[in-house]
Amino acid sequence: MLVEIIDVIISGMINGSVYALMAVGLTLIYGVSKAFNFAYGSFYSMGGYVAFMIFGAHINNYILVFCLAAPILFLLGYLIEKALVAPLRKRDDWEIKVMMITLGLALFLDNSYQVIFGARMKSLPTILEGSIELGDFILSYQDIIIFIFSIGGILAFRWFLNNTRTGMSVRAVAQNPAGAQIVGIPKEFVFSATFAISTVMVGMGGILLAQKYFVTPMGGWDILVKSWVITAFGGMGSIKGSLYAAFIVGMLEAFVGWHFGMNWTLIALFAVLLTTLAIRPQGLMGKWG
Amino acid sequence: MDHKRIAIVLAVIWGVVAILPVFFGSTNLYMHILIMCLIWSVVASCWDLIMGFAGIFSFGQVAFFVIGAYSSAIISAKFGVPPIFAVFAAGVVAGGLGVLVGLPCLKLKGAYIALVTFAVHMILEPVLKGDIGRAIGTGGSRGILTIEPMNIFGYTFLSSEPIPYFYLMLLVAIICSAIILIVIKSHWGTAFLALKDSEDFATCLGVSAFKYKLRVFALTSFLTGLVGGFYAHYVGMLSTRMLGIDLFVTLMVILVIGGVGKFPGAIIGAFITIALNELLSPLGPYRPIILGALVVVLVLLLPDGIIGLIQKILPKKNNGLPIES
Repeated sequence: MLVEIIDVIISGMINGSVYALMAVGLTLIYGVSKAFNFAYGSFYSMGGYVAFMIFGAHINNYILVFCLAAPILFLLGYLIEKALVAPLRKRDDWEIKVMMITLGLALFLDNSYQVIFGARMKSLPTILEGSIELGDFILSYQDIIIFIFSIGGILAFRWFLNNTRTGMSVRAVAQNPAGAQIVGIPKEFVFSATFAISTVMVGMGGILLAQKYFVTPMGGWDILVKSWVITAFGGMGSIKGSLYAAFIVGMLEAFVGWHFGMNWTLIALFAVLLTTLAIRPQGLMGKWG
Repeated sequence: MDHKRIAIVLAVIWGVVAILPVFFGSTNLYMHILIMCLIWSVVASCWDLIMGFAGIFSFGQVAFFVIGAYSSAIISAKFGVPPIFAVFAAGVVAGGLGVLVGLPCLKLKGAYIALVTFAVHMILEPVLKGDIGRAIGTGGSRGILTIEPMNIFGYTFLSSEPIPYFYLMLLVAIICSAIILIVIKSHWGTAFLALKDSEDFATCLGVSAFKYKLRVFALTSFLTGLVGGFYAHYVGMLSTRMLGIDLFVTLMVILVIGGVGKFPGAIIGAFITIALNELLSPLGPYRPIILGALVVVLVLLLPDGIIGLIQKILPKKNNGLPIES
């Protein structure tokens, strides 16, 4: 019993860490540009497929894969923002139009994956075989690496936001777009760059989770909904809030899945979310506006 | 567009649609497509009322449609209620759930509303497939395979003879569009216009955003559920496949083509989109790709949809309040 509970806690922590990485990416776009990205889940699958293609080219080193995939994802995200989202920003009702266009993009991308790669699940090789055995329970190296990579990614991103000039300009635009523009921060560039960074983050999450859960054309929807729930739960635009919320959601999912069955996880998640929003409409740590 | 113009456009649209069976009546497939057009035109107009006029980013429209379809099928099967009453009961169920969702959700802002309503959509599939669904009689992942066909006072509408059902749906669509027009014309429409122009000022004058939003949410959920019921009794079988993202985006294409907040536009959009969808169906897996690309291109190039395009070409007649923002 106790061993099982510890197992559940560990799997909750590991899933929570990857959710955190992806939710931070989603909350970043919303916090900076107030745009909501429906194609976020498709970018998750995109990460998996990009890695799959790199492996297909007989590059079997994960570090190399990350180094190759990150710029590709960054470039794709940047171009998509410049081509699709940026032109809409000038219109009055751009918020709803951005949701529509990204939803169209999601349908386009998901079905393109299906046509190009086929509907069958694709698997990536495990990052590191083997496991540690501590008494009764087993901890695989793969899980440890997933955890370290996601937390490391978030910490690196935090360092970037707090300590570099570009990161500070991102925060400036998030706080006051007009003011940021007055002091000479290229607003349009910051919007595109944050979109691209969030694409990289979710794509990385896709590569990390693909070793455990496979890559499927429609697999991103689940991730979109979870990241979305986490960002709303933690407060849209609050990175710290998403971090806490991601671990809460990871734990909740693990425990509900263990005790009641996987069918109930989504229902439990929304029950918790709705209760939170009914009491605190801005989420755990969000601010209005 | 002012109300008179909307009414004239509506009359022209429904007049043209009413004589279509003269040309297509001999082929059942075409009639089937036309009935689908009518059904989706109502759903899309309701969504337009929520999103375009009331400014609520609701993404739960398909969910309420599916709720309506399932509840009508279950009510007619379990309690032996004649379909015509079951359909109205389904509307009430959907409307009630709409209020239940709206109560916590409409106090939220922008993207949060989209989240909660879309959450209703996403949660519906595990609920319908899971133990709860099986207990109510949704048939789990198999779906409901036999639904009583619609009959009114002893006359049964069979799917092998679609023309009578077409006229029944036309009647429903006309009534629904009339209700929507009345809502836009009434003080609800004016209230939403005021809220859109300046929410703070309108609230100071005593216009309660929450109250109006909840009413409009309940009304559209009711209408959508009602049409969902009519859909269920027409096709005769239901499964959770309707909750796929495909249908959702089709509905969005309708709105993009018709123009958000340009009321009769959604009806025109429905006819164009559903017909286009059927034309593209031989392309198989490429159809959703084209559909997705179409949304992207249309949002970029046709910001106000077909109605916006027509308004640009035709000279503006400006008397009374401008309805579009």
